[in-house]
Amino acid sequence: MSMPLRLLAVLVCCLWAGLAQAQIAQDILQSNSTLVEKASRTTIGPVIEALAGSGDPAAAVILGAWAEKGLGLRKSDGRFVLIAPNADGYTLRDLQGNDLGLAPKSEITELRPNAGVRGLIATALVQFNLSDPDRAKRAAALASIATDPTAEGLAPLRASLASESDAVLLAQKQRLERLLTLRFDPDSAARVAAIESFGADLGLDLRGALNPLLATRRVALAVGGSAQGNLAQTLVPGKTITEVDAYALLEAGGLAPARLTIEAQRAALLANIENGAVGGIVVADLNTQTARDRAYTALETAGKVPVATTEDEVAIALAQHQFLDLYLEPDAAVTTAAKAALARISQQVGLMQTADLALDGLSLASIYFLAAIGLAITFGVMGVINMAHGEFITIGAYTGFVVQQWVPNYTASIVIALPLAFAVTFAVGVAMERLVIRHLYKRPLETLLATFGISIALQQILKNVFGTQARPLTSPAWLDGAWVLNDVVSISYIRIAIFVLALLFLGFFLWLMKRTRLGLEVRAVTQNPTMAASMGINPDRINMLTFGIGSGIAGIAGVAIGLFAKVTSELGTDYIVQSFMTVVVGGVGNIWGALAGATMIGGLQKAIEWLNPSNTLAAQTYMILFIILFIQFRPRGIIALKGRAAGD
Amino acid sequence: MCGGKLVWTAFPTARVQQTLPGQYALSLCKGKGAVQPHRGMIMKLSRRALLASGIAAFAAPSIAFAQAETIKIGVLHSLSGTMAISETTLKDTMLMLIEAQNAKGGLLGKKLEAVVVDPASDWPLFAEKARELLTVSNVDVMFGCWTSVSRKSVLPVIEELNGLLFYPVQYEGEESSKNVFYTGAAPNQQAIPAVDYYLEELGIEKFALLGTDYVYPRTTNNILESYLISKGIAKEDIFVNYTPFGHSDWSKIVGDVVALGADGKKVGVISTINGDANIGFYKELAAAGVTADKLPVVAFSVGEEELSGLDTSNLVGHLAAWNYFMSAETPENAEFIAAWKAFIKDDKRVTNDPMEAHYIGFNMWVNAVTQAGTTDVDAVSAAMIGQTFPNLTGGMSEMLANHHLTKPVLIGEIRADGQFDIISQTDPVPGDAWTDFLPESAVLEADWKGLGCGMYNTETKTCVQLTSNY
Repeated sequence: MSMPLRLLAVLVCCLWAGLAQAQIAQDILQSNSTLVEKASRTTIGPVIEALAGSGDPAAAVILGAWAEKGLGLRKSDGRFVLIAPNADGYTLRDLQGNDLGLAPKSEITELRPNAGVRGLIATALVQFNLSDPDRAKRAAALASIATDPTAEGLAPLRASLASESDAVLLAQKQRLERLLTLRFDPDSAARVAAIESFGADLGLDLRGALNPLLATRRVALAVGGSAQGNLAQTLVPGKTITEVDAYALLEAGGLAPARLTIEAQRAALLANIENGAVGGIVVADLNTQTARDRAYTALETAGKVPVATTEDEVAIALAQHQFLDLYLEPDAAVTTAAKAALARISQQVGLMQTADLALDGLSLASIYFLAAIGLAITFGVMGVINMAHGEFITIGAYTGFVVQQWVPNYTASIVIALPLAFAVTFAVGVAMERLVIRHLYKRPLETLLATFGISIALQQILKNVFGTQARPLTSPAWLDGAWVLNDVVSISYIRIAIFVLALLFLGFFLWLMKRTRLGLEVRAVTQNPTMAASMGINPDRINMLTFGIGSGIAGIAGVAIGLFAKVTSELGTDYIVQSFMTVVVGGVGNIWGALAGATMIGGLQKAIEWLNPSNTLAAQTYMILFIILFIQFRPRGIIALKGRAAGD
Repeated sequence: MCGGKLVWTAFPTARVQQTLPGQYALSLCKGKGAVQPHRGMIMKLSRRALLASGIAAFAAPSIAFAQAETIKIGVLHSLSGTMAISETTLKDTMLMLIEAQNAKGGLLGKKLEAVVVDPASDWPLFAEKARELLTVSNVDVMFGCWTSVSRKSVLPVIEELNGLLFYPVQYEGEESSKNVFYTGAAPNQQAIPAVDYYLEELGIEKFALLGTDYVYPRTTNNILESYLISKGIAKEDIFVNYTPFGHSDWSKIVGDVVALGADGKKVGVISTINGDANIGFYKELAAAGVTADKLPVVAFSVGEEELSGLDTSNLVGHLAAWNYFMSAETPENAEFIAAWKAFIKDDKRVTNDPMEAHYIGFNMWVNAVTQAGTTDVDAVSAAMIGQTFPNLTGGMSEMLANHHLTKPVLIGEIRADGQFDIISQTDPVPGDAWTDFLPESAVLEADWKGLGCGMYNTETKTCVQLTSNY
């Protein structure tokens, strides 16, 4: 016990003796001021406990203020005061809540307890706050019990159940009560009942409570001896435990002498060669391990080398002992129930993980699809290799950012940003088509180089305008958070929104191409521009509009992508390769192809990430290898156009 | 019209193509009946070459012509490309420091002159630009680089031409060059104290090491893994994941990390994620409802500058470890922030750790030059060792014989306003070039004063090598 702690213990005793004094809390803090000022989780515990147990009516307020950075140290007299920041300093109150006036910032050291200390304070506050009239305080107390479950928490929690009026908190309390019961209740039957009451519940907190119950320790004992404890499993050396580990266990338990390594044995034998023989065996005969072991044993018997176990003796020693895993939890009924519960749960978790993976894949697919749908028009339908497609996405995202500068309401700003992004990128796309692409329709390689140049130029222009910092594009509050089915399956609302947006655009595209005059004309111009022109369609205008629409959709995709990722000038470059892959893998010239391509790439990527969770880059590399192979077998993609429409 | 198909094979994100020697193989092939001359043609083009030439064409080199009366300072920071997000600020910091020094009357009776070049986040281009600074512009000293891969690319050039470089960013250690002064943190000045904080203060039992896939995160995570194992954390309680630069699809990784808590152990994340990938990562954390109480994240590459692009209200309580935070309450810091805001003419701009590193490095260099009475590299290098200068966070910083600084380690919690609450500040820690937590480097030592060697094996008592070709 360190010096301050000892002082503290003495102090606490004295204080209890002279209870009912108004200043107890202040005294505890003052006499431990160094500990409190530089609070560390490892040393501050006793001070917090003393405060909480002091009986001082102000203790709960003081502890709460301390955790919320509302406790300060006045430099002039070294006293602890309650502080609240105001315009140019702090408003001070003493620990009983009496007003002490104002103080400038330089006069006060604000105490900033770290998260570990705050956790301890929260645990200490549980007893005060579980039945507090303030709902937020009750919720905080529950959260604290959930993070650091202790046996002491069980009694106050049960006591607070009856008075809980809030239905949500009551449900939380009941669940927490069962979780604590299964770990800490002295009654075995109550614990088993608590475990069974959960069934195959998927909660992370339940698994977090059950798994520690099944922690084991390994013991070795002589055959025939009976183990004291709750047996988990018997280990078989060479099968469920390696012989090396098993022997190490014997060594550690003092049940066998140290094992002889091959090197040590060799050195010992070399040192004891007498007249060309070791321990009575001629050196030339020491060419087998058995012979060397015999020689060493002979030396051991003669007392020339320390006693150590040779390989043959290891086997004997292992056979004479049994090796067991014992549960740390002594109650067999509890461990059996916990094991059964975990088995039930893990089956459910497996199923749910598959569902979660499928959701993630679907979400990634919808993002790729949204990024690629514009390209499906410009590249898929018109055949223009537009390397600047990614920058259209970026421009869309920046449009969203600019709108948010003017319209502070996030919902309204997104509603405005979506059509505006379309308009802006439509205009940029049309300008680009007019100025550059129009002149290069018959020359795909030049188109590629020209648009690539434009891509770099646009990036640099965006950098000059918006700077190099990532810009925030904040989603409206109703898109924050995630749709949580259970602790395994969840997906953020923003991704669901992107999924819906992708579906909407699929519908828009189909309607545009199949149901409108523009779509009809686009299809006509794509298939045969000369014939279309002779029918009175202006191919130049149609090409311009088509390219504009493709670019416009990229702009909308930019707003959506900016909402869940970042808005920088490089935003688009991250998606350009995936977009081309999506269109090519799916099948050029067909929107269903782009959909199939996005689904395949997104799903595949997630599946490979699942197989290899530690390296996402490797997952992407494998996926590309797969796509190269895939293209070898289906060079026209998943959904290949047939006949004249294929354009061969 | 081209109705042909396009076979596209490349690395997954464009960002990676700029950094890896990747190549697109693009085949535009016309089917039967096509009349265009491109039939079956295979064209290969290196995007990086295109990009480099493109940028070279755009960025006008600002090389000043030699004037005898000035001392030239090379500023080697990317002003375009993926690292521009961080490095542009450092270029401005250098211009501010140089301007302030000139206002004080320059150095050795001469004016200082900044020579700014743009290596465009292209690692080989860093070496080219360093060579250009040393041989064409004849600079006396260089301040620059961010990311270890750029520094490693510059090393052979400055060692060949005997240049002088100040590197201002925290890095993975395992290096000490005669020609480089490392003013950023070594692992024992950032990563190790942060892990200690996790172990002691937060009681973390299970670690997720998430990093971007390049040399700094990989080396740091290797060091941390062996350090954690030495602290009794089982290997299966350490989850490691690497993602590409600019990664944005974090949903599954965040889910995996949350699921680590299923065995009832307290989980903490150590993030060496670099650059703008952080934004998607933190957004996903917020969306998944991961609060700092349940699952704290300590980041080594996220500072005030990076947070300014984020809505931080959901990130309150997550951590960062640095040697400087803008919220440090010292008169020096208040002065520095005021000077920076006046220089950049923007009241909303923030300061960060690498800026302080340049501030200390530049001032030490000024003092060393004054002391040596010359800008000669060898004389200045010798005078640099032992230089002291006040930190912006209080206390003195000292340049050690291994070319690293002593620095205090600060751990901060993110506040709703994008600033950090400093919750832990150590006494100055001497930077260790060779970590003690990897067996192969524990025996190594760097001492340019007594031993004259940056890679000295204390077991064999020999200098392993003088140049830094590792």
